[in-house]
Amino acid sequence: VASAASSRARRGFGRPRTAGTMPPPTVGVAKTKSKEFYDIVRQIGECKNKSDEDVIMRREVMTLRTQMASPKLEKTKMKELLIRLMYVDMLGHDASFGYIHAVKATHESDISMKRLGYLATSAFLDEHHDLIILIVNTVQQDLKTDNYLAVCAALTTVCRLVNEETIPAVLTQVVDLLSHRKEQVRKKAVMALHRFHQRSPSSVAHLHGKFRQMLCDKDPSVMSAALCALHDLILADATPHKNLIPSFVSILKQIVEHRLHNYDYHKVPAPFIQIKLLKILAALGTADKAASTEMYSVLSTCLKRGDSGGNVGNAIVYECVRTAASIYPSPVLLEHCAAAVSRFIASSNHNLKYVGLDSLSCIVNINPKYAAEHQMTVVDCLEDADESIRGKTLDLLYRMTKSHNVEVVVEKMIEFLKTSTDKHVRESTAARIGELAERYAPTTQWFIDTMNAMFAIGGDVVKPTVAHNLMRLIGEGSGDVGADETLRRSAVNSYLKLLQTPKLPKVLLEVILWVVGEYGTLSGRSPGELQDVLCGVVETQPDGAAVTSQAMTACAKLAAASAPPALSPAATKLIELAASSRDVNKQQRSHEIVALLRESPALISAALPVDRSGEELGVDENLSFMDALVSKALAEGASPYQPVAERAPPPSAAGFAASGPEPVGALRFDAYDAPQMPARDYGAPPVRVDASRGAYDPYIPREETATAATASEPTLRRKEGTWGADTGFVSTSAPAEPPVKDEKALLADALFSGVTTSSPAAAAAPPAAADDLFGLGLAAPAPTTSVSSPLDDILSQLSVGGGPAPPAGGGVGLEGFLNAPAPPVSGGFDLLGGGAPAPTIVPQFVRQNAPAPAAPVRTDGMVMSPGMDGVSRPRGKKDPFADLLG
Amino acid sequence: TTRRDLVPDRVPRVRRASGNNNARCERASPRDRRARARARACGARPSRSRQLFVFRGASEEESGRMIHFALLFSRQGKVRLSKYYKPYSQKERAKMVKEVTTQILARPSKLCNVVEHRNLKLVYRRYASLYFCVAVDDTENELIVLEIIQHYVEILDKYFGNVCELDLIFNFHKAYYILDEVLVAGELQETSKKLIARLVAEQDQLVEAAKIGAVEADGTPLQNP
Repeated sequence: VASAASSRARRGFGRPRTAGTMPPPTVGVAKTKSKEFYDIVRQIGECKNKSDEDVIMRREVMTLRTQMASPKLEKTKMKELLIRLMYVDMLGHDASFGYIHAVKATHESDISMKRLGYLATSAFLDEHHDLIILIVNTVQQDLKTDNYLAVCAALTTVCRLVNEETIPAVLTQVVDLLSHRKEQVRKKAVMALHRFHQRSPSSVAHLHGKFRQMLCDKDPSVMSAALCALHDLILADATPHKNLIPSFVSILKQIVEHRLHNYDYHKVPAPFIQIKLLKILAALGTADKAASTEMYSVLSTCLKRGDSGGNVGNAIVYECVRTAASIYPSPVLLEHCAAAVSRFIASSNHNLKYVGLDSLSCIVNINPKYAAEHQMTVVDCLEDADESIRGKTLDLLYRMTKSHNVEVVVEKMIEFLKTSTDKHVRESTAARIGELAERYAPTTQWFIDTMNAMFAIGGDVVKPTVAHNLMRLIGEGSGDVGADETLRRSAVNSYLKLLQTPKLPKVLLEVILWVVGEYGTLSGRSPGELQDVLCGVVETQPDGAAVTSQAMTACAKLAAASAPPALSPAATKLIELAASSRDVNKQQRSHEIVALLRESPALISAALPVDRSGEELGVDENLSFMDALVSKALAEGASPYQPVAERAPPPSAAGFAASGPEPVGALRFDAYDAPQMPARDYGAPPVRVDASRGAYDPYIPREETATAATASEPTLRRKEGTWGADTGFVSTSAPAEPPVKDEKALLADALFSGVTTSSPAAAAAPPAAADDLFGLGLAAPAPTTSVSSPLDDILSQLSVGGGPAPPAGGGVGLEGFLNAPAPPVSGGFDLLGGGAPAPTIVPQFVRQNAPAPAAPVRTDGMVMSPGMDGVSRPRGKKDPFADLLG
Repeated sequence: TTRRDLVPDRVPRVRRASGNNNARCERASPRDRRARARARACGARPSRSRQLFVFRGASEEESGRMIHFALLFSRQGKVRLSKYYKPYSQKERAKMVKEVTTQILARPSKLCNVVEHRNLKLVYRRYASLYFCVAVDDTENELIVLEIIQHYVEILDKYFGNVCELDLIFNFHKAYYILDEVLVAGELQETSKKLIARLVAEQDQLVEAAKIGAVEADGTPLQNP
């Protein structure tokens, strides 16, 4: 390999390796592939750009396609072809032609072929692929074989490829494998069951006991697999697993005491299992004082041991901090954590700094005083060269934001938005700015200014919801008439000024058009003048149809607000032009506006009232205003409405039905009747139906409803309820429609469902009262409005020290636990520890008799219900219902 | 329900159950309460948007996957190994690989080994000319993920005997087998290095034995073939 790429590649990860000239496969592995394979890999390594690579790959795909299809192919050759196919797939080319060969390879009896088949299948397919159904049978057989390698390969594949439909097919066999003699198989079986749980929790709901049982497996690696599964179960619902806490604590204690040999990693005992256990404890101890108290001692031991454990030790310490922050807080433990966090944050290692910021935001949630000592570092981090660290710092600030520092934090975030380039980061930052500004805004004026600034910088990434919130805030006001008017006036003025800027972001433009339409007159300009401004916007802003139609609506509102309702000449021109537009939306609006302005002023002001956007709209879902129309139609002889279920079957079906009732699905053993020509009386004149509707009922339910639907479609309007049928827009064919009571309700749903679901009342604004939830010295100092320098300011704002001391009697002191004698453990690794009850059966009853853990009571007397505290939630999965039911 | 005018549709603001701010979800702001009171006064039914939210939450795809995918690529951005623990289509994979490699390769070496990518965190580590990158949940412990990478590399090193990029290029299926021993379905599966080395060696031995037919029915190799 002479190429530069390969020679670079030859450098080893660890110690330098004596450079050979050939790519020689490796020490441990014999060279088993043909020259073709090495050539392909080498060519890929040598090619300079993507298009060269594509050429090679296309050629390779052609070769593989022909070779794989050839009937007399040796197995070893096939194996190599599959490996080459995996290579093709890995480089992102289409290898779908060969998927079936991979599936076929799993059917082979040769174990190496079978393993490769499984490997390739799980690389190629995913759980939604059609070919899955073909491997289910093979997997079933392989799960039963004696060869444990085949079983393992099948189990690994099951983990990757199982879906809801195929779980039942393999479930019983996987459960049987839990008692396999090989620990490796047991471990994979536990993993597979865990995977089933993730895919479809109900399928393994009856097997939760099995996971507990596997926790007691004599092999530690099986135990650790069971931990993964239990972690998921506990995240979903911790209550039934609380009785396992002593077991988990005991396992963790034994690991920390180095009883688990063979699992050392860089001289730290089983760090991966430790971290899994810490996560489980965090989930179990959340908002549960009694449970948390059991953990304090082992957590502090963990923390102490981890401190001297190098990289992986830091990982453990970090996890300890997160656990300590999510369980019921212990002041002593938190002090230890704070020390660790200080070490992280002060570290010159960027990774440690990164996790330091994260852990700081965890403990700051509990007690803001910990942030005080790090304020300088945090401010430095805001200027860090690393975008990840800057982002994390903003994350921390976001969590620390209260009403007294919101202005600074938002300012910093807007700066970050300016410099950041990644779209997703920008999006989330913009969303956060919107959220913070809305929740903690000191004044509405500030809110509007902030929003304007954000729209100007991040208009491309702002979610429409943020704009809607802004509109709602302006529209609903605060209830104080004078203040509202000032706010609206200033908003209108600032927007009118903004309109002169070219290329406004679309969301902002939307807000501006709405606000000017609703409150434009507050600026002191005449409606006509404002309409001209809006028409100008349509010319200058590039966004096309949407902007035009919004501007038209705004013009209509302004026209309604002027003394005799009238459009300005420019607006008239705009609307007339839109009447012949190809855009249906514009066209419809134009017709509506023109027709509306022809009506009496009273009707206009009812349809387009000034400043009543926040008002409720009574919706008559029964469409009672149509009653007159219905009774009139009935009087004229239309048949009354029949629900679909009660209608006669359509004529074609009736013909068959007439031949005699027949149980559906019953077999007829006698012959059918010979077909007959229908008897026709050619002498009689054809029936005429025009005379009276009573004599001949033209009402055929299905067609009728269909025409009714199409006829009324173009006239669907949101404001049907208030406008009624007298505006002249209802198509003339519609009144002829028969009275359809239930379908009226359906129509009402179609018309107004949007209204009911989009009620701003439901889109609740976040509480402003969340400020001082913890009552820990955050009694919102008045925001300093005179900002001298941003740096000084943020320093003063971040400093939240001086609050009362942390709750002292909150938890049982650690000392008691540390002094308590450890349970006697007879040598070796005893999973459940001496004294700890077996996790399977007994403890459940023991603990149930104990009083249910009461809501933890804080020292300041505030009762914390789960979720109220904002800190004691499991990380990761959230219960979607909790927020609603809480 | 509120009056709707001819303004473009307003989207109901559905609150996400966001990470650490559960406290605020429980209470409504005064403005909000007023709006609801008004709605009640007008005889409106409670809005449906909250129920919609419940539905959406319940139908959410499974979560709780620690590792979403693992990717090995060279300094030139060439993929050496890729393993996906979530169903991504071929197109999504290609897009993801492109984004991930450019994002990571663009980072100077001194910075921290974590990058945020969409809603995932990319934890990566560079070994000579190879980047090992693992995408994990947002809430995952970054340091331990780095150690998982190190763990895997150490196992590779042990298996190949001072591993280098070429070993992986030419024997990537072996690397896959080993990865399958370390990670299953996105969870760390085996944490003992010795054990994995033993398992992989055992498997190789068995496969070799099976090739020459010197294997018993239950898969154990014959002592004296």
